[in-house]
Amino acid sequence: MADLRIEHLNKRYGVTTVLNDINLNIEDGEFVVLVGPSGCGKSTLLRMIAGLDGASGGDIHIAGKLVNTLAPAERGIAMVFQSYALYPHMNVRKNMTFGLKFTGVRPAERERRVTEAARMLRLEELLERYPRDLSGGQRQRVAIGRAIVREPAVFLFDEPLSNLDAALRVSTRVEIANLHRLLKSTIVYVTHDQVEAMTLADRIVVMNRGCIEQVGRPLDLYYAPANLFVAGFIGSPAMNFFEARVKSVEGGRACVAGPGFRSLDLPAGHLKIGDALTVGIRPEHLAQGEDGPLAVEGVVELVERLGESSFAYLRRDDGRLFVAEIRGRQTPPPGERVTLTAAARDVHVFDASGLRIATPNDV
Amino acid sequence: MPESVSNITAQMPRAKLAGLLLFFLGPAVAIYTLFSIYPLVATMALSTYTSDPSGGRHFVGLANFETLLGDALWSKPFWNAFSNNLIFFAVHMCVQNPIGIALAGLLSLPGLRLKGLYRTVMFLPTMLSVVIVGFSWNLILSPLWGVAAGALKAVGLGSLFAPWLGLESSALVTLALISVWQFVGIPMMLIYAALLNIPEELIDAARVDGLGHFRIFLHIKLPLVLPTISLVSVLTFVANFNAFDLIYSVKGALAGPNFATDILGTFFYRTFFGNQLQLGNPTMGSAVATVMFFIILVGLCLYLFLVQRRIRRYAF
Repeated sequence: MADLRIEHLNKRYGVTTVLNDINLNIEDGEFVVLVGPSGCGKSTLLRMIAGLDGASGGDIHIAGKLVNTLAPAERGIAMVFQSYALYPHMNVRKNMTFGLKFTGVRPAERERRVTEAARMLRLEELLERYPRDLSGGQRQRVAIGRAIVREPAVFLFDEPLSNLDAALRVSTRVEIANLHRLLKSTIVYVTHDQVEAMTLADRIVVMNRGCIEQVGRPLDLYYAPANLFVAGFIGSPAMNFFEARVKSVEGGRACVAGPGFRSLDLPAGHLKIGDALTVGIRPEHLAQGEDGPLAVEGVVELVERLGESSFAYLRRDDGRLFVAEIRGRQTPPPGERVTLTAAARDVHVFDASGLRIATPNDV
Repeated sequence: MPESVSNITAQMPRAKLAGLLLFFLGPAVAIYTLFSIYPLVATMALSTYTSDPSGGRHFVGLANFETLLGDALWSKPFWNAFSNNLIFFAVHMCVQNPIGIALAGLLSLPGLRLKGLYRTVMFLPTMLSVVIVGFSWNLILSPLWGVAAGALKAVGLGSLFAPWLGLESSALVTLALISVWQFVGIPMMLIYAALLNIPEELIDAARVDGLGHFRIFLHIKLPLVLPTISLVSVLTFVANFNAFDLIYSVKGALAGPNFATDILGTFFYRTFFGNQLQLGNPTMGSAVATVMFFIILVGLCLYLFLVQRRIRRYAF
């Protein structure tokens, strides 16, 4: 049980900067997910917390203690690896107790911890088996068990579900969530899968190109992305972006218009006439209809039917493609011209530098 | 779904299948038979003959083997060569392979600089001709003009120097160590390659578990490269019991002093081709070669049945 504090953390390899001035506070018992595209530095950050990679600058505190110079085993962390990294020449029991031997845990205590973890993870039957005789899901549970017996202050997970098939991924995800509820420990979890991030996290850290783009609760990221990157990264299919300009500013309201859609009112704020803006609308917030402050038109090109809903790919008159989610059985046939509208509260507006402009509906 | 190969061959006409087998397997079988199976069988056959002074050959069954192992004139040098060969092998197993493993372990340390240079330098002697190696070490260790005596003296250890290659007590071990120096690159390379195969995450997991570099090597890396180490041991065994060239180039066919460095290879050479006053005796030589073949065969069988079965290869 511990909090984790990261201050001005940097990582450079030669001239390439992998992590740039990372600041992050993780509270005791919090489940934090680091998410971002490949190469964004999320795994590097995790490895630096673990002590597997050194920092080029900055501090890491675990439970109030500066751990910069401590070896991984002295930091009070446990890590679950993407490939599980079980020792192939040891059975499950030895895999779990191996590390404890070197940290001076007595045999009786080791046994107690293994029994406890095995019960929690339903591994009792597997203790004498070797990793090669286990399925992917079982290996995954052993890897988690090996982390649990260390009784760490902070759990680190490095894309633990990416080697599992889809069904197992969902059930293991639920198991990890349950485990967190049970152990109430601090967890830092790296993934590139935003569904994992949204479902598991107390807070999500969205990273891009070695920087933190936004930190927030899952729904905050979804409903109020701080910038264009987060808006485009969270949500699937990705948010549609439309170019727009401020047409007029009158009485504290700015009227926004752009090719392909009608018009939109915003609180003026600092906006001036002619300012370039980006308007974002999620596919699931576009609905067929005539009403609403914003309407976009397009010709249906392709419809993907998923069952509970369908995704329609539409081309606007200026040639740009956008996606709308259509609920129900009725889908427009390709070639049909459709007008889609969105409610004001579902419209995101970003300024020329990509930062979110507050709308009255923001919480 | 594509048809499986066995299905296709089953439907083929017999003659066509035979032609196909001949086409694919024929060349390999022909070459292997010509250069491996035929000489082996011919050698074994020759060992059952004896030649009289007129040059005629007579079938004598296993009489040559009786002479080799029963007649003291033959059996004494044979057993001398055999036990020398065992010592030669033991030195390789106890010195060459541990050093090879250690060097491979050092090379695989993360963050080691000039890795490529070390690797090349340590592998270099392996690529040298044995004749050059033998000649160079003969010069280095020579008590008359060798640099070894001077080098030891320079560091204050001059009293330790002895004409190692000339003493019955130390000549064999010295030769074995020269061979170790030359060939240590082979176990190093093979084990290094096996170490590189171990996934990085496994080592990371061991680091999180609190192991230092040495313990990681001992508890994780070493058990995982055990199959390669046993392979290296087999290669060493076969190479040592077939060894000849180094002894011949350093000590000549007589393997002196007083046969102290005589191993099966040199013993065979003298028997088969003759040396100085000893006449060449191809039939007796074939008997020696056949015995050498069976020694290696028995050694390999022991390895296959006792060791290989218990070793498990790990897929990562």
